[in-house]
Amino acid sequence: MSRLSLNARLALLFTFIVTVCLAVVGTILFDALSRQIYAQDDLGIVLSARHLRRLAVEMDDFAAVREHQARLVSLVLGDSALALKVESSEGNSLIDYNPPHLPIISLTATPQNERIVTEHLQRWNSLGDVPMRGIATFAMLRDGSAIKISVARSMSDRAQMLEVYRSLIWKTAGAAVIIAIVLSLFLIRQALRPLRNIADDARGITPERLAARIDIRRAPAELHELASALNAMLLRLQQGFDRLWQFTTDLAHDLRTPIANMRGASEVALSRPRSASEYQGLLASNVEECDRVTRMIESVLFLARAESPHFALRRITFDASGELKLIGEYFEGLAAEGGVDISIRGEARVFADRELFRRAISNLLANALRYTPAGNSILLTATASSQGASIGVQNAGIGIAPADVDKIFERFYRTDASRTDSGSSSGLGLAIVKTIMELHGGRASVRSEVGGLTTFELYFPSGSEGSTSMKL
Amino acid sequence: MRLLIVEDEAKTGEYLRKGLEESGFTVDIANNGVDGLHLALEENYDLVVLDVMLPALDGWGVLERIREKKNIPVLFLTARDHVEDRVRGLELGGDDYLIKPFAFVELLARIRTLLRRGPAREVEQINIGDLEIDVIRRRVKRAGQRVDLTPREFSLLQLLSNRKGEVLSRTQIASYVWDMNFDSDTNVVEVAIRRLRAKIDDGHTVKLIHTIRGMGYVLEVGEPG
Repeated sequence: MSRLSLNARLALLFTFIVTVCLAVVGTILFDALSRQIYAQDDLGIVLSARHLRRLAVEMDDFAAVREHQARLVSLVLGDSALALKVESSEGNSLIDYNPPHLPIISLTATPQNERIVTEHLQRWNSLGDVPMRGIATFAMLRDGSAIKISVARSMSDRAQMLEVYRSLIWKTAGAAVIIAIVLSLFLIRQALRPLRNIADDARGITPERLAARIDIRRAPAELHELASALNAMLLRLQQGFDRLWQFTTDLAHDLRTPIANMRGASEVALSRPRSASEYQGLLASNVEECDRVTRMIESVLFLARAESPHFALRRITFDASGELKLIGEYFEGLAAEGGVDISIRGEARVFADRELFRRAISNLLANALRYTPAGNSILLTATASSQGASIGVQNAGIGIAPADVDKIFERFYRTDASRTDSGSSSGLGLAIVKTIMELHGGRASVRSEVGGLTTFELYFPSGSEGSTSMKL
Repeated sequence: MRLLIVEDEAKTGEYLRKGLEESGFTVDIANNGVDGLHLALEENYDLVVLDVMLPALDGWGVLERIREKKNIPVLFLTARDHVEDRVRGLELGGDDYLIKPFAFVELLARIRTLLRRGPAREVEQINIGDLEIDVIRRRVKRAGQRVDLTPREFSLLQLLSNRKGEVLSRTQIASYVWDMNFDSDTNVVEVAIRRLRAKIDDGHTVKLIHTIRGMGYVLEVGEPG
């Protein structure tokens, strides 16, 4: 059943309902009709028997009965299916009127002084299985002798008539069922047309035509929700595709620079004989470019893997300030060379993957160092809250323009497209920070005043100690 | 020390052979899994460097069959750094792995670590030229003069002197000294080396800490060769 089409399923169901209804109606009507007919015939038999008994009671003897045969028979003349038999109590036949030529069996007779009612009717099958109904009664003649009056009716005509009706009902009902199947198939097909329209619309949507949408106006109210949900899904897919496309383009673009450097420098070096130290310089420069490419690939793979649902986080609870101190020490030399001071404030326990925590803070700190002018300081803060912990990285510097604040965490986003030192940063550092925070169910945010303080804040929600947890 | 390299990519195999031979190893190359397995089982090698992506019989198959017969150290190279791949390699009996592309000095360091039998000896005193390092008391003297180092600078110097004559990559240094196991875009290590060098080498004619451009850093007496 589950493999049948919706159309066929609905049609079958509808046909089933129609069939059941017709069967019930047909049965009830046929039953009522046959009951009605039999009741009428039964009443006729009973009335005839009553009349006959009344007439017989006024007759003197057997001879009179024979004499008045015509009068008695006239009571059953109207219906050719009726038969009449009058016998003496000894069993001698006085009158035997039998147009249907079907013998009347010996019926149990109603006593002469008892009212004849339909309940006394008896049924049997006569020759050739013809259904018969009949009734018998005793009557006392004036001379005191008793006679038995039997009235019977052959029901074959009625049976035939009902048979005709029955077959008529069957045929009509059958025809109605067939019409119902055809009509329901057609109507359901019509009713389901909006689904096919949606399917047609969906068929037209390809990676090249992701902007196409399902036409909601063509859908009936019941399908609006489905169509809107599909359209919302398409929008998300389109955005994902766009991002991916942008990402691929940016990546290819960023890979070009180091490759162009390697190729160009190597070609220039090969164009004429060089000293050994020149060759060494070239090779070392090539290795540096390779490192750059490797780092870029590593970052891109990290971002790609972080999106996989199987990415495993090894979260533990640890002291954030201790980690900040360690990271601060790592950058100490670099900061000192740039005349920048790193200070750490606050205490908090963080529930995070230690490796990723270090990576996120390091990326922010490296970023801060890049933009902090000499003589300023970078402040790392750890703040505990009831739901988790926040780590802040604050520095003074040129700040981030309001237009860039929302985009700064996007992959390959650089505030200054023509920045000359793009080689030193892959443009993925902050995207990695954002991804790490998403993996932790936390948040990365930034506040900045142009020419003032810039604060990046990472919020880590607290959680229960578990050795490993899957993303989402 | 005899090494076997199983690597189908000719360029990779060639530079590995050259580099390892220049580092004092005897090297054989097999360019497919079947030959590699045959050599590994028939000959006596001290270590096998095994590429995972091989035609016909892949690296996992080779590793599995080597392990059925022999217990030589196997270092596998893979371009796919999926966690499952690494886990699989280690479960099959690989001793260590490197993800392509890797720094040659890193490979050299891993090979030396695997070939070193037993745990490294903890030395109490290191003397290189006129440099004296008291590991227990964490004190350093150059030409008899006390040199004050921060704890991290001391760790860095200790690492370089423990691996005297070995080139250490930036990644190795960051990992060992600061426990930072990811590549950062910054020149933190370069700066740290510069600062250490200022304390150790400045004012001395014989330089100890040398930069090998593009590869890393090495501590040895005189010019590195």
